[in-house]
Amino acid sequence: MIVALALSCLVPAITGTLLLRLWWPSRVMVPWWLLLALGAGFGMGLASVLLCFYVLGFGPTPAFPFFETALAGLVAVLAFKLNQTRLTGSGTPSGRPSSRLLLLLGLVFLLTTAAAAGAFLSIMRQQPHGGWDAWMNWGLRARMLFRGGDAWQNAFSSTFPWSHPDYPLLVPSLVVRAWLYAGRETLLGPALVAMSFTFGTVYLLTAALATLRSTSQGLLAGIVLLSTPFFILHGTSLYADVPLAFFFLATMICLELDARHRTVTVRFGVLAGMAAGFAMWTKNEGILFTLAIAAGLVFAGMTEAETRWHRRLRALAIGLIPMLLLVIGFKAAFAPPNDLLSTLSVDRTLGRLADPERYLMVLREYARHISSFGANRFGSAVWVLLAYVLLVGVSRSRLQGSSFVRAGSTAMVLLLAGHFMVFVSMAHELPRLLDSSLDRLLLQLWPSALFLFFLVVRAPEEALVPAQRSLVGGTAG
Amino acid sequence: MTLPTMASRIPVVRARSWAVTRVVAGVLLVLLYVGASSGRWLRRTEAWPSAAAQDEISAYDHRFDGVKSLLPSRGVVGYVSDPLSPEAAAQPGDTTALRHFRRYLLAQYALAPRLLVESTRPEFVIGNFARDIPPSDPGLQVVRDFGNGVVLYRRLQP
Repeated sequence: MIVALALSCLVPAITGTLLLRLWWPSRVMVPWWLLLALGAGFGMGLASVLLCFYVLGFGPTPAFPFFETALAGLVAVLAFKLNQTRLTGSGTPSGRPSSRLLLLLGLVFLLTTAAAAGAFLSIMRQQPHGGWDAWMNWGLRARMLFRGGDAWQNAFSSTFPWSHPDYPLLVPSLVVRAWLYAGRETLLGPALVAMSFTFGTVYLLTAALATLRSTSQGLLAGIVLLSTPFFILHGTSLYADVPLAFFFLATMICLELDARHRTVTVRFGVLAGMAAGFAMWTKNEGILFTLAIAAGLVFAGMTEAETRWHRRLRALAIGLIPMLLLVIGFKAAFAPPNDLLSTLSVDRTLGRLADPERYLMVLREYARHISSFGANRFGSAVWVLLAYVLLVGVSRSRLQGSSFVRAGSTAMVLLLAGHFMVFVSMAHELPRLLDSSLDRLLLQLWPSALFLFFLVVRAPEEALVPAQRSLVGGTAG
Repeated sequence: MTLPTMASRIPVVRARSWAVTRVVAGVLLVLLYVGASSGRWLRRTEAWPSAAAQDEISAYDHRFDGVKSLLPSRGVVGYVSDPLSPEAAAQPGDTTALRHFRRYLLAQYALAPRLLVESTRPEFVIGNFARDIPPSDPGLQVVRDFGNGVVLYRRLQP
């Protein structure tokens, strides 16, 4: 069973990587570790979609793993015949870190990964069904689909609106896939999906920054994410927030690649659209994220007087359309109305919008939760990173020269503002909702925020070169 | 090396050592943060449970093992539980009401893909009680009492 479960992860990871290698522009060199990190995520997203179409056509039958593996074999043959991408053994480091620093960071990264993985497995063993929302929403949906046979549509029955049957299907469908591979229901299935996304996010962040900035910068970002207590703890809860964070991060990375190579290709823009589409297929928050990303691109394009932003937006839309159609199809054909939206009334919403107390309360909670995010016994991750940037400084060229930094940071601010308005206008029990969901919303953005942060903060090796004045942190650049 | 050349090098050396100090302090700060979390992860790893799936949800899941074999494999099944006082039902966030709801959710989770409705109208009705089993609806017949508060009823007349 363990081998079958491992295959349920390996098949989409390899297929996704091979497909990405086919799609990758031949003129852009890529290190294999970034291709694997992004490709595995895209593969998981595609496998989820494949499972849903398979269930639609044949039901949740045990033949699915053979069907999927046969398709993966075809992709492999195609990839080896058509492959043109040049793989490199290294990224594009912006400086030469000392070997002692790299050795130290590499060692810390390995030890932290081992410690976090040990804790993750220990917690999973203690609570294999995850948190309340996990078994009430995602676990129940997976069981309804897997056990339902011909009646799998009951998974979206309106008899249990409390289980949010309108929520998208990425997480439950991946759990069903794992069970189909294993041949039976096992608690290892959801645990494997959760672990793949939790540590896959760390790996993706590290690989992307190691490629786009420097190895030391990638390792620093990776160890901060591994050390964010809520990230690991929430990963074990089996909620969909960590998979969502993975696709937010993948979108951001593809947008950065798009900004770097926009003069030669629009393919990274299409990939960004696909990643945003998978975010929409993971949680409803993905819809707001996609809107925020589109607005961020428009804002960055207009403020830079850039002429190509229409093209970039079009590429994003092309990548997004397949998943958008799938989400719309799912909502129209299967999902009952959203329980929160269906109980809204215009009068009540306007009353809430006119209440200044609600704005103040949400603002206060935003400040409190953001400033204490990622806190452990030493302190909050936000304060640690603030002190870090004051010490090492910001790279002026990265901050001012990258259209992605402007687009990405605008999207994140807009997303937080969007959630702010949702809290103010829609929340019935506002204090309880803020308490239970604000940290999760921040967690969804945390890996992307770390990516942006370490993209613009100077790498240790850059900060040691006294060449230019930095924006923060005085001389020595 | 002449004196003026040495003098001109002093600011560069100072700037360099100041840069080193700042980078070392920054990396040290991050490593202290990482160390605090890693200590926490190691403590959690040490608390490795001797047996898997000994948690409350798994135990609750197993409560319904017996009843599953007597129920149709899918379709709507009724659900009754300990009566909830009107005050508790009306109070949002009341702990009794929340517990009542949680028991219902866990029963639905355990008995999926059957659809559990809080009603005694379906042909089969699950009783899920924390306290003593109350007298049943006159239209219901006890099929089997599985112990531990779980009872299966069947409606006498549709």
